Amino acid sequence: MSTSGSGCGAPAGGIKVTAGAGDQAVVQGHVTSSGTAVPSGYARLLNADGEFVAEVPLGEDGGFTFYAAPGDWTLRVLAPGGVRAERAVSASTGTITELEVTV
Amino acid sequence: MSRSEVLVDADWVQDHLGDPGVVLVEVDEDTTAYDKGHIKGAVKLDWRKDLQDPVRRDFVDKTGFERLLSERGISNDDTVILYGGNNNWFAAYAYWYLRIYGHGNVKLLDGGRKKWELDSRDMVTDVPSRPATFYRAEEQDRSIRAFRDDVIAAIGNLNLVDVRSPDEFAGRLLAPAHLPQEQAQRGGHVPTAKNVPWSKAAEEDGTFKSDQALAELYRDEAGLDFGKDTIAYCRIGERSAHTWFVLHELLGQPNVKNYDGSWTEYGSLVGVPIELGDGK
Repeated sequence: MSTSGSGCGAPAGGIKVTAGAGDQAVVQGHVTSSGTAVPSGYARLLNADGEFVAEVPLGEDGGFTFYAAPGDWTLRVLAPGGVRAERAVSASTGTITELEVTV
Repeated sequence: MSRSEVLVDADWVQDHLGDPGVVLVEVDEDTTAYDKGHIKGAVKLDWRKDLQDPVRRDFVDKTGFERLLSERGISNDDTVILYGGNNNWFAAYAYWYLRIYGHGNVKLLDGGRKKWELDSRDMVTDVPSRPATFYRAEEQDRSIRAFRDDVIAAIGNLNLVDVRSPDEFAGRLLAPAHLPQEQAQRGGHVPTAKNVPWSKAAEEDGTFKSDQALAELYRDEAGLDFGKDTIAYCRIGERSAHTWFVLHELLGQPNVKNYDGSWTEYGSLVGVPIELGDGK
């Protein structure tokens, strides 16, 4: 899996994992509100020191995907109307860590 | 350069929608966002298809740039307001790019698409039709663009600012954490570079921090010598265009270059020095 030559941009929902984690430490999930997907908003990944690492706009299904390094992270959600939510998450190589966030 | 000459806020844009002589341009790498909804009247620029040469790794040339802006209906004397996703990375890159080709009146929408969305402001799907113009570009201004030899010569001499995340700087990640990690280059950073992630210059809603907070960040916390020239880099040059905008346009530092070859070039060069580990 290589993105050489392409940009750094984050497409809505992130780049979906299609065939297992391989050697990546994947953190992915969805943001919902009262059982409905939140399609307009942002998921931010912060490292163990609380520093910003990455951000993706939520997908149509409220989805997000990150390719982290192994370790502890915080996922923060921002959505219109001042909505905020935070979850702690641990990532490890070769694993897809699923995270469902309700706001 | 004062902030009001280079930056407008969302209220200003709201109040000037449809003004003749003001052209809103959404710039993204993933232009499906524009297709789903954009600010009324905005035209789109595709960071890859429109701004990069399809064969060589470089900008489109002067003729290609003139053709592009003419076709989008942008005139030399228009005020171009740029905004986009990813906290305005690609919009800042386009800003830098328009400056390289000598466009006079160009500004960023503070906070870009994210701030507009988080404010729940109106977006539309109608694509505006603008009559073609006869745009004329200047020769490229190389004083704001760095090449690899400039970077090597700057080691230990000039300010080098690596604006990637701490994990990319240290060599633990080779791309931002929203992308699959690649293996093509060596990880690490240019020796003597300071790590000031682009995100430290922005608030959570994507707007820029105050001039005072920015000056403290780069001069006092990171230890940049404001008496020296500066080169900013990241992985491919758009996050560092965001930092170039801060240092050159908001803080008025005179000699700041963006190295758009950035880590995908430097980290693939044979024989150049690389340093590993966290910032100091």
